[in-house]
Amino acid sequence: MKFWKIFSFEFSYQLRTVSTWIFLGIAFLFPLFFSAIGQSSDEAVFLNAPSFLIFITVFASVIWLITSGAIAGHAGTRDIQTKMHPLTFTLPVSKAKYLGGRFLAAFLLNALIHLSIPIAFFLSFHIRTVDPGQLGPFRPEAFLTTYFYLSLPLAFVATACQFAGAVLERSAIVAYIASILLFPIAFPLIGTVAAKLAGNWELVKLIDPVGFSIAGTLDTWTPFEKNNRVIELEGMFLWNRFMWLSIALALLAFTYYRFQLAHPIASTWWSRLRRKRSKHTPAPALSRVVEHLKVSVPQVNRNFGFTAQVRQTLAIAWSSFGTIVRSKAGLIAVGLLAVQMIVFAFEYLEFRGVPQYPTTINLLVMLTASLRDFQTPLIIIPMLIAFYAGELVWREREAGLNRISDTMPVSEWSLYLGKFFGLALIILVWLGFLMVAGIVIPVTMGYTNADTVVLVKALFGIQFTNYLLFALLALSVHVLVNQKYVGHVVIIMLYLSMVFAAKIGIEHNLLIYASDPGWSYTDMRGFGPYLGPWLWFKIYWVGWAILLAVVARLLWVRSMSDDLRMRMQLTRHRFTRTTALTTAVAVGVILFSGTYIFYNTNVLNNYTTASERTELVAQYELKYGKYKHIPQPLLRGTKLQVEIYPAERKADIQGTYTLVNKSTLPIDTVHLATIEAVKTGAIKFDRPFKRILVDEELGHSIYTLNQPLQPGDSLRLSFDVQYHVKGFPHKGIDASVIQNGTYFINYDLLPAIGYQAMRELRGNGERKKYGLGPWAIPSLYNSANINRVMPGQELINFEAVVSTAKGQVAIGPGTLLKKWTEKGRSYFHYTTSAPIRNNYSFFSAKYATHKATWKNPASGQTIAIRLYYHPEHGEHIGRMVKSIKDSFAYYTKKYGPYPYSHITIVERSGYASELNAEPTTVDYGESFTFSSLKDNPWALDLIYFPIAHEVAHQWWGAAQLLPAHVEGGIVVSETLANYSSLQLVEETYGKEHAKKLLDMWRKSYEVPRSRATAPLLQAADAFIGYRKGPLALHALTEYIGKDPVNDALRKLIEKYGSGKPPYATSLDLYRELKAATPDSLQYLLQDYFEKNVYWQLKTEQADAKQLDKNTWQVTLKVHAQKVVVDSTGAENPVPMNDWVEIGIFAPWQKDKKSDKPLYLRKHRIRSGKQTITINVAGKPARAGIDPNFLLIDLNLDNNTKNVKMEGDNKEEFELI
Amino acid sequence: MTLKITNISKTYSNGVQALKNVSLDIPNGMYGLLGPNGAGKSTLMRILATLQDPDNGSIQLGDIDVLNEKDKVRETLGYLPQEFGVYPKAKAEDLLDYFAILKGITERRARKEVVEALLRQTNLWDVRKQKLGGFSGGMKQRFGVAVALLGNPKLMIVDEPTAGLDPAERVRFLNLLSELGENSVVLLSTHIVEDVSELCTRMAIINRGEILLEAEPLKAVEGLQGRIWRKIVDKSMLSLVEYEHNVISTKLLSGRTVVHIYSEEDPGNGFETVAPDLEDVYFTTMSGHVGNLKPETAL
Repeated sequence: MKFWKIFSFEFSYQLRTVSTWIFLGIAFLFPLFFSAIGQSSDEAVFLNAPSFLIFITVFASVIWLITSGAIAGHAGTRDIQTKMHPLTFTLPVSKAKYLGGRFLAAFLLNALIHLSIPIAFFLSFHIRTVDPGQLGPFRPEAFLTTYFYLSLPLAFVATACQFAGAVLERSAIVAYIASILLFPIAFPLIGTVAAKLAGNWELVKLIDPVGFSIAGTLDTWTPFEKNNRVIELEGMFLWNRFMWLSIALALLAFTYYRFQLAHPIASTWWSRLRRKRSKHTPAPALSRVVEHLKVSVPQVNRNFGFTAQVRQTLAIAWSSFGTIVRSKAGLIAVGLLAVQMIVFAFEYLEFRGVPQYPTTINLLVMLTASLRDFQTPLIIIPMLIAFYAGELVWREREAGLNRISDTMPVSEWSLYLGKFFGLALIILVWLGFLMVAGIVIPVTMGYTNADTVVLVKALFGIQFTNYLLFALLALSVHVLVNQKYVGHVVIIMLYLSMVFAAKIGIEHNLLIYASDPGWSYTDMRGFGPYLGPWLWFKIYWVGWAILLAVVARLLWVRSMSDDLRMRMQLTRHRFTRTTALTTAVAVGVILFSGTYIFYNTNVLNNYTTASERTELVAQYELKYGKYKHIPQPLLRGTKLQVEIYPAERKADIQGTYTLVNKSTLPIDTVHLATIEAVKTGAIKFDRPFKRILVDEELGHSIYTLNQPLQPGDSLRLSFDVQYHVKGFPHKGIDASVIQNGTYFINYDLLPAIGYQAMRELRGNGERKKYGLGPWAIPSLYNSANINRVMPGQELINFEAVVSTAKGQVAIGPGTLLKKWTEKGRSYFHYTTSAPIRNNYSFFSAKYATHKATWKNPASGQTIAIRLYYHPEHGEHIGRMVKSIKDSFAYYTKKYGPYPYSHITIVERSGYASELNAEPTTVDYGESFTFSSLKDNPWALDLIYFPIAHEVAHQWWGAAQLLPAHVEGGIVVSETLANYSSLQLVEETYGKEHAKKLLDMWRKSYEVPRSRATAPLLQAADAFIGYRKGPLALHALTEYIGKDPVNDALRKLIEKYGSGKPPYATSLDLYRELKAATPDSLQYLLQDYFEKNVYWQLKTEQADAKQLDKNTWQVTLKVHAQKVVVDSTGAENPVPMNDWVEIGIFAPWQKDKKSDKPLYLRKHRIRSGKQTITINVAGKPARAGIDPNFLLIDLNLDNNTKNVKMEGDNKEEFELI
Repeated sequence: MTLKITNISKTYSNGVQALKNVSLDIPNGMYGLLGPNGAGKSTLMRILATLQDPDNGSIQLGDIDVLNEKDKVRETLGYLPQEFGVYPKAKAEDLLDYFAILKGITERRARKEVVEALLRQTNLWDVRKQKLGGFSGGMKQRFGVAVALLGNPKLMIVDEPTAGLDPAERVRFLNLLSELGENSVVLLSTHIVEDVSELCTRMAIINRGEILLEAEPLKAVEGLQGRIWRKIVDKSMLSLVEYEHNVISTKLLSGRTVVHIYSEEDPGNGFETVAPDLEDVYFTTMSGHVGNLKPETAL
């Protein structure tokens, strides 16, 4: 009865609180909002698909965690905070009833709030008009499972944590901190770090309390799954729920045990830890008080002028800073983050399992993040800012000190700015923590090249400005709203609208608070072209921030009159001449900088919204798609004069194309595709022509020749291209031509011939809107596609003179014929020794150069190798040269000659680490050079292998063998490049090192992804092309040997390596491989190439007994199954009778790097259980099925098992 | 300096009329504002302390318009509210120093001197390094006094200050106030009659938002000379006495009831005359026999 009364009182009390309804409102509005803006990417997925409900539930749960700690917090601490506890604690109520009633009320309220999420989701499709075709059937089981498996357990666990924290610390705020720090931040972080350390994604599923691991895998679901799959309580998820419920119950039990219905002794956990070193001196007895003391308060001067106001502001700032420092999360949260970064720096700084140097760039990635980036641990900084802004604004009122402090002769400016500076100070301290991490990490790793000055600039210049702008917003919102929880909610809503601005239709950075066009720093570029625009945007936002401050100051709540009407009246008193002046200055700053920015972004540059760009792309196809297949002259030769002006950020190009009519019909019309961002002019043909159409916006012009170009005839086309950077755009600043590190590809700037199919819109949902048919990669089985020369595939004779500023090196494709200096500029003349594919780049920077040559011992051919690199990034040059030479040696021997006399390796400016291969050129991004290999000789050589991969592209994909633009093209280029470089790595470094590469590839199988993929032959995505393909070819070498596979590839390139149509397809590769494979293993090729097969191989038992001194008999019980996964993700078991390796290994010995196989042979393995008995000459330690992972199996851990000796058991029995 | 309150009225949004046309002239010195709980004392005090605005009326402090020149008032104001909190984690000395800066004592040496003097005056010197969260009610109250005294205010407003103080502290505090009253307007609101009788040179009695009496305590007591009569009766007799006489107060004494009545002539009936005190003034005023309250409205 008492329990029921406590419960119902608490429940109804909270229902009468405004904040409860606000939390309920958020939980209700959020799904409405998200379901309205969330367009499903795939048309086949219904808007009300269960997967979307799961996504929204997880997302709304996070919002709930961030906002709603107050419910449990207040339920747990209201009596103490309202000082009611002397009355309530002395009632004859047991601890269990008191706590139980309060907890249950909080839990039920939270459960109710969670319930509003699915309700809102359901309603969202009824209160707005939705195309009924986009809605699936109502599926109650989806709502029930999501609520009862996901929401309700989270509500219970989180309420328990919040409640326990609040009750034990006797402070409602602890509930907030507990839920914000633990759930959305700490656990995913711990989970990810743990997963990275242990390499086990299952661990993430076990730890994650919110459902991120489920939401994260939704992308891998097939449309069928998205529409139908509901959450099932099984596997790791079941354990997860069980574990978290246990933790919650344990926490509640602990709370019950620790809680006392007693007067709280004011102490912090800190002082409890310290065990009170200094005892409180008892208050002095006042026996001598009555003596009549003369009051003698000294008369002192007092000041109320400007200096006094400054002094007061500083005092308030210092005091505000002090409260934050002394509060629970003030220093700890960011401090822990920094410590965590230092401790796990090695894990953070790792790429594909290879340690990376803590370079300036890598440190910046760790320590800085855009204010609008919500997927970073650094999001706790804006969170804390918002939180403490509320604490500071409400500080006096919550302490009950406002009646005193409000009567102090202090101006509202001092109060407002004091608190702002207090926040600024704590932000400085937080950034200081990050700075310490940025200094300590390189020191602990023994790296000396990190640029501390850059870190200081980025943290205390850029990040600090952003955080200050946000702090000002948060403070002002709290002042204006004048209700703490509502204030927090408003800030979170504003923050979300900043993060998802584009989703709600706000794209221009002039309209998104505190935003900027983005910035980055790299060693080559420095802060490059980003700093100026960034600064303009910040000046603009500072103007707005001042206005916000003015408004907040005018409406600052002082005294008891806090209703809006009274506050408005007060503003009239507060609006002084200084206020007017400040407002005028702020408006002036906004107008001035805003106008300048607008002039840059919308006048000098073309401002388009995302939908406008989509529209343009669609228009291009709608208007000019009809020219897709008309005969056009083919590009045969290119002659260019490229003038790069890095300082002026411009490039002028004059060019001449030689075009030839390779069709059987005369051609009278030439279609030219131009680039919208540049000015293409002076178009001239070497014969009379007419200009029919110039569409600069869509980049298409049409010319007719007075005399048609006859089949076999050629003509010349000359043009001018001017690329001049004018001002800056509102986002996505173009870094093509910059001070140091210019880089552009031909199709970025130069005109192309004919309709450009690659510009077409890909998203089928959007295509439908514009009445365009569905887009798909052209079919593998249509021979017309295979003979078509796509833009970029034309074989051209190339020559260029490239000039740049003095001191820089300009690089183009081909061999350097000559270089000279003229009028203070450097000139470089390049030409290629054989025709190249029409795909090439230009570079210009202050490069260091390294030259080498490789001579083919068989043919005597000499290849000039030139490397251009940023002078500070020279560490791996030797390794690269070795990789290039080894590549030439191996590939020429195995696959055939290299057709050119030169190769150029260039470092590209920019953060990205990827490498590109173009004919005779390989380029890599700056981060590529950051692998720390010298100190970690165990690591995969992530310099040698990628360079070998790119050089292999000179045979596969970039030059020689060009893939047809159809399905499976990635197999012909990337699979073969990866396979060839794997062979080279094994040749150079041995099998053990190659295994590291294979392991790295296999790792991608562990990342959650859909198993419903296309077979290799029709591969279209990177995962299949880069991972499954080379693993399949590697397995094939283990089954049929290396030479047959290499020979098949050699035959392939002999047939298709001319670079001319018909181009090679995955079918051609498959045909050669089939020819090299014996009949008994053809099934394996089919499983790998034609089907989407997964094996499930498991060793259930491995026993051994010693037969005589040197012979052991091993008995293996294995289980095998083979399944085909179809396009809906369904598994269909197929009968198996495959050759699978069975291996038995000797104990691991220190001097050997891996265990020695005692036995390794292929056995016929059927589906199901089977027993294999083998005698080996040596003591076995480990044994099992497919120990080298040649077959695709998602669970590799159970392939082998430690061998159990028969004798071991006996001994145990005897002992007992 | 004089505080001149003219025709102040205040009605809260819930309809309670807290002040009705209150006018008072308050000179330098201690001024007692006496009234029962809910009489409107605190509202008047808050208005004077710039925390609230009246619906109409005006207030002058010397040549400062209190309602429109709040900044000026704050520069010379000391305010000790009836209820207030502190930053529990702050040390007494630090917080007092902080407030000293807010009060405009920006010079470090002067501030140190003032803070020390005030902490000693309020007997908090020995606990100055302790956190305010551990202070008892009386210590906290004394800390509030110290804050109010910062900057030698010309207008001191103390709202029921002695409620939480033990007798010794109370005496000490009242002494402090009377010292201050030599040069300043000190307005002391209380419902404890002794506070006023011991200290205040002038006083007002307020009830239901109206000033019932404005007087000098001694003169007011003198005015009642010979009009207050006393009798000790049994509890059972009380209602009879109340019926027959103008009872202004009853009090228990060793289990029996002491009745004070107001009568301009000898009521006989065993009543004896007593020398009136301020308490009798208060109760007589509250029951409408003297002052502005008309007896018929009181009944």
